[in-house]
Amino acid sequence: MNMIPLALEGAWKVLLAGLVLGAGLPVLYALSVRGMAMAKGAGAIIGEQTAKPVGKVIAWALLIVILLAVAYGISFIVATGLGKVVTFDHIVPWFVDKPKK
Amino acid sequence: MTTATLILALVVVVALAFDFTNGFHDTGNAMAASIATGALSPKGAVTLAAILNLVGAVLSVEVALTVSNSVVNIQDSKGLPKAELMASGGTMLLLIVFGGLVGGIIWNLFTWLLGLPSSSSHALLGGLVGGTIGALGFAGVKWAGDGSKLDGVIGKVILPSLISPVIAMIVAATATRLIFMITARVEDKFRERRFRWGQVGAASLVSLAHGTNDAQKTMGVITLALVAAGSVSSTAVYVPLWVKLSAATAIALGTYLGGWRIIHTMGKGLVDISSPQGLAADASSATVILASSQLGFALSTTHVATGSIMGVGIGKKGGTVRWTVAGRMVAAWAITFPAAAVMGAVMYWIAAGLGGIVGPLVVLAILCGLSFYMWKRSRVNVIDHRNVTDDWHDGSKPEVVVAAHEVIDPHHELDEPQPAAGPATH
Repeated sequence: MNMIPLALEGAWKVLLAGLVLGAGLPVLYALSVRGMAMAKGAGAIIGEQTAKPVGKVIAWALLIVILLAVAYGISFIVATGLGKVVTFDHIVPWFVDKPKK
Repeated sequence: MTTATLILALVVVVALAFDFTNGFHDTGNAMAASIATGALSPKGAVTLAAILNLVGAVLSVEVALTVSNSVVNIQDSKGLPKAELMASGGTMLLLIVFGGLVGGIIWNLFTWLLGLPSSSSHALLGGLVGGTIGALGFAGVKWAGDGSKLDGVIGKVILPSLISPVIAMIVAATATRLIFMITARVEDKFRERRFRWGQVGAASLVSLAHGTNDAQKTMGVITLALVAAGSVSSTAVYVPLWVKLSAATAIALGTYLGGWRIIHTMGKGLVDISSPQGLAADASSATVILASSQLGFALSTTHVATGSIMGVGIGKKGGTVRWTVAGRMVAAWAITFPAAAVMGAVMYWIAAGLGGIVGPLVVLAILCGLSFYMWKRSRVNVIDHRNVTDDWHDGSKPEVVVAAHEVIDPHHELDEPQPAAGPATH
């Protein structure tokens, strides 16, 4: 049964991508929530009275990163539907035809 | 009108019916978590999911014409039906597809009645395998491909269904754990509200991906039937626009109907979800599904979504999973493929055995009868958008308490010097 190694090879890649994006993006989101809470201060952070406005800047910067990642996710779904793939060959991501197998 | 044309019409009808059941069976995959945490109202969630499924399905320009190829030998690599199945106007192939679809629908409805999130793709592929066994015997089934790549029943169905829920579970548990660590000092109310936004975004991605993946399976099956009956040229296979639009509409309407029984199980039965956990579950599902389709690793959206939800239960400190519910679910996963296959084979035998147009009509009557019966049974304990977020019916808390650190972090003493880690101490 030589398919089990093949399956594990696929699984390992999916797990890696899942951990980087599937856990990474929620971590960024959590950091942005924490930033928002910092900016609000009392009532948002346990035991904190003073608001730190810098939190808001951090939060928005993180949200922009997340939105870019999501935009990539959507363009990936759309590209797959259209039979194309997203490449980074030209630095700027762009759609190209799916390579024929 | 020839018999083959009439059978073709029946195949198209049951294919769209299958697509419809696929829609409501899988609404929960994307939306169960958002409904359970109140990030979206039940009606709002199914409306959003329906629209995104429609958009996703319409976007599926490149349809998988070879959907059956992974498990049975009824098409060649270009999507054309095998020549030997084309005798008498393609009737044999039409009956295989017909029996398979009816088998898939019956199984989908049965698991819906029980509120179990089983895989619609497995029901479809299982049904097709059954129909093929009925017509060609076991030799018509591709069990393992040629061994050079993941293929066949083992490579495309069995192995992924064992592996993908585990991957989703690990990713979701990790995300949950990290989220709660990072936001340990954030007030619960603030955190709960903020995370709802992220959750809706992640759930939307899952819906969109579902639309592109699942609707095109039906499109592929209908096109296969059209080619078999000679309605679409067998030299240049294409998917007619009406096929695309009707399949997209069927899956969207099914999604809008909402499989409330299944949503209830996923959202309330497994784990009591908070909105940070909801985000973790949906982000994990979305990335695992997308990464898999990028890497050509076949999997079921349902298995991934349920794996993610279990993962967020495990990942939260003091979080709990109702393992009896999870166990029933896993049992349903395991029997979906063979059960749909048995159903598909029986339906093929009835349809082909009686022959002519009578056989398929009898099968259609059986399908309608069973569907009506199961719908009747579902009225005994109605679950709909009004009570979908009620507590799990026995009122129990998840019974087996699993401390998160015992599962994902063997070095849990590292966590101890965190006096400010919030109320989750135990």
